Amino acid sequence: MSKTKNIYVALAFLAPALLAVVCLRIWPALLSVHESLLAPRATTYSLENYIYIFGDPIFQSSVWTTLFFSIVVNPLQIAISLGLAILLNNKLPGTGFWRTLVLLPVAIPASVSAVVWAAALRPDGLMNALLGLFGLGPQPFLTSPQQALACIILVTSWIGVGYWMTILLAGLQDIPKSLYEAARIDGMNRWQQFINVTLPQLRRPLTFVLVADTVSNFLVFAPVQILTRGGPQRSTNLIMHEIYNRAFAAGDKSSAYAATVVLILLMLTIVAIQFRMMSDKGES
Amino acid sequence: MANIKPSTALHIAIVAATGIVFFLPLWWIFVSAFRPEEDIFRYLSPLGIETFLPTRWTLDHFVTLFESTFARSIFNSLFVAVATVLGGLLVCTLAAFALSVIEFPGRNIVFTIMIVSFLIPFDAIALPLYQIMRGAELQNSYLGLILPGLGNGLAVFLLRQFFLGLPKELREAAMVDGMGWFQVFWRIYLPLSGPAMISAGLIMFIFQWQAYLWPLLIAPATEYKVAAVSIAQFNSAYGVAFGPIMAGAMCISLIPMIILVFFQPYFSNSVASTGSKE
Repeated sequence: MSKTKNIYVALAFLAPALLAVVCLRIWPALLSVHESLLAPRATTYSLENYIYIFGDPIFQSSVWTTLFFSIVVNPLQIAISLGLAILLNNKLPGTGFWRTLVLLPVAIPASVSAVVWAAALRPDGLMNALLGLFGLGPQPFLTSPQQALACIILVTSWIGVGYWMTILLAGLQDIPKSLYEAARIDGMNRWQQFINVTLPQLRRPLTFVLVADTVSNFLVFAPVQILTRGGPQRSTNLIMHEIYNRAFAAGDKSSAYAATVVLILLMLTIVAIQFRMMSDKGES
Repeated sequence: MANIKPSTALHIAIVAATGIVFFLPLWWIFVSAFRPEEDIFRYLSPLGIETFLPTRWTLDHFVTLFESTFARSIFNSLFVAVATVLGGLLVCTLAAFALSVIEFPGRNIVFTIMIVSFLIPFDAIALPLYQIMRGAELQNSYLGLILPGLGNGLAVFLLRQFFLGLPKELREAAMVDGMGWFQVFWRIYLPLSGPAMISAGLIMFIFQWQAYLWPLLIAPATEYKVAAVSIAQFNSAYGVAFGPIMAGAMCISLIPMIILVFFQPYFSNSVASTGSKE
């Protein structure tokens, strides 16, 4: 049986998926590149749209906001997920139930979470009531340029950390018990065991979570559109919302395409790393 | 249970408190959905037992909700998600089979291109795809909603990993018996891949159930609007009536929650297998 003859069989099996990749991924990506190189009413390619968006203070501030958001939200979510994974990595009665509770928000549409948090973060909402328990006065939350982005971080973290916890939990369970026994014999305390055994053993799942979390946080849209519409004072105008605004609210498709290409290139780089890690693992 | 160690008891308490903190907003949705509108924000200050347990019960919000177009939205969401799972499983298992069992030149390149392009989160290309689909007159149609969910990189990846784990002898023996490739796929591999199909199906279901930006763009008409989009537009449609919003949120949340509770091991395994296990 020759490998070359198999190619036709393989193509037949792959045909629907290949069609989906070409029509639904590659074609749109190429269309963005094409449209992004055409300035409004122009017939020849130029970099005008790119020059325009990178000179535009609104786009610039959106990029900075997105970068700042990433730098804060990714380490924060990973730290919380790791903490949860360690906390819930036990065989105590009922742990499976509590794990499911932490995971539940993942399954709910982000738009539903956003709508509910909109109610919870109202000045007279649940959040201020909880803060009241600790003797803290009511906070403006979504209407404050200083607090709105923190609220978006809170909401996206509530949604997402259960998912990342699940990955890290699996990683924790793969660590051989003997390593901890050896560490105890060496006289290491809990903290030293965490630094010298847990963290190095978790390197792969942690890196994976970092990459995958970064990708998903670059594309946060529903919470921004529903909770703040990018405000107040553009303090929560993350890049996905900026592209959407440009294309559909402002009707400026040309510069929205340029922004899309920038986003796709960024994603492609991160996803390529993610893929490398996923396939390395498949071979080992 | 009588002589439980204090440190263990503390651990259980912390674990339970964490679970409750995560569940609290959901519980608040459920409680608010069943209480009269004026009670929703009434018992928040000071916080007490009434905050989380309704004193007066009502089903009014659900009546309001299902007399509106929301029932249609729930149906649309279900229809789109189920159709995506069925169609997507077909597309993804066929592809995964070719990429794991059939040996052909260029397999790794095809695999790489396919997975990388599927892994780019779909929302990133929503704008150009919208332009293309509008050109194909697929706006406000089920096809427009379903198509983008059919090829799922994670599903192909999971199914391929599963197929790679099955012994080669299965295929070789079947082919000696005179089976063709399609028969090998249909009669040997498919019947064995139940657990992997459940995991892949779950991923696709949740993907579609959660979709927001794409349905917002491609299917804004009431007839095709999905629940995740509907609920976000309640604010403007009902003024600031939180009762129907909470009832709607509860309906949309319950379906994936029930699925997750029943299939949690499958979901966890599939999520975990992308990150750490082989």
